[in-house]
Amino acid sequence: MTSSFTELQLDALRELANIASGSAATALSRILARDVGISLPRALALPLADAVDACGSPEETVACVVIGVDGDLSATVLLLIGLRHAGNLCTLLGVEPGTEIGDSALGEIGNIIGTSYLNGLATMTGLRLTPGPPQLSRDMLGAIVATLLAETAGAEDLALVLDSELDVSGEPCAISFLLLPTAGGISDLLAPLGLAGDTP
Amino acid sequence: MNVRMGEIAVSAQSDCELVALGLGSCIGLAMVDWEAGIAGLAHIVLPESRGDGRHAGKFADLAVPELLARVRSLGARVSRLKVAIAGGARMFALEGTMDVGSRNEEAVRGALVDAGVTIAAAHTGGRQGRTLRVHTGRGRVTIRSAGGKPVVLLAAPAAPSGRPDPSPYPLNMTNAFGLAEGI
Repeated sequence: MTSSFTELQLDALRELANIASGSAATALSRILARDVGISLPRALALPLADAVDACGSPEETVACVVIGVDGDLSATVLLLIGLRHAGNLCTLLGVEPGTEIGDSALGEIGNIIGTSYLNGLATMTGLRLTPGPPQLSRDMLGAIVATLLAETAGAEDLALVLDSELDVSGEPCAISFLLLPTAGGISDLLAPLGLAGDTP
Repeated sequence: MNVRMGEIAVSAQSDCELVALGLGSCIGLAMVDWEAGIAGLAHIVLPESRGDGRHAGKFADLAVPELLARVRSLGARVSRLKVAIAGGARMFALEGTMDVGSRNEEAVRGALVDAGVTIAAAHTGGRQGRTLRVHTGRGRVTIRSAGGKPVVLLAAPAAPSGRPDPSPYPLNMTNAFGLAEGI
């Protein structure tokens, strides 16, 4: 399993993810009026099949919010929430899980923290990032991640996954946060930092 | 054995399970020769290789002939081969993204026609992820949609049987939701 990114590039991407997920955590914390912790982000450059495995158990059904990103960077933001944790999040928001209102609240939460994440990225890199409409679905983790990777990585067999986790303090409620840039998007992210040099 | 994105696996063991977990827009392509006890599974990601020969299992145009060659090299006969496909869902309707799932299905079907192989069962399209399992020991190919129960796509003839095509299911089904049975 080899990565064609330099350690310096991966460090820079991790730092971007760290700052971006900080903005997302702040947004979530405001909505819920609770502390939200963030895990140390990972920047994974892996063959497609390994990238899917790195995201979790492929057959587990999860809730997800997908936000397409356009503008100076072509990428997808993916929020993954275990079904039980999604239910807890709904309860924290005061809506009933599994109902239309519950789903709409999850989509909206995804939208707010997803766009906060992108704002964080945009501030750091100076890139103009335009989020698309959020889409909520419940499906097998592997099917969600593999489908997005097939579209973003295209013919390349190398996927870049920036991955961080938000944890609502005192509640079993964790949200995994993934940024999946297209092959060209990776160098777009690194270029403003002067590190685009030799991306694969 | 877990057959991941872009991988191909074949087996001649009498009790083996080949699985493609969480197929979204990807296609799981199963080929079985029950009589010879040979099974193969490909987890296909994209329709066309466009000359990229490095990852044969990833692209429909390369994976179909590759899987066929590998089950044949173990002793499977094309005349006995049962083929099932599953997956090709449109998981998201994101603006500006291509519908990889239906293009994958089309490419796999096209490559199978080119190879002279007919599809015995298909469970494709829709918006749900799926898991495809090939159990050689139990003589079953099953599919499970997200949140659902397994459904039999292909079943080995009940032995001993002299009939040439003992499959109890009609050919070329595009949707096998009606076939749920206790397995």
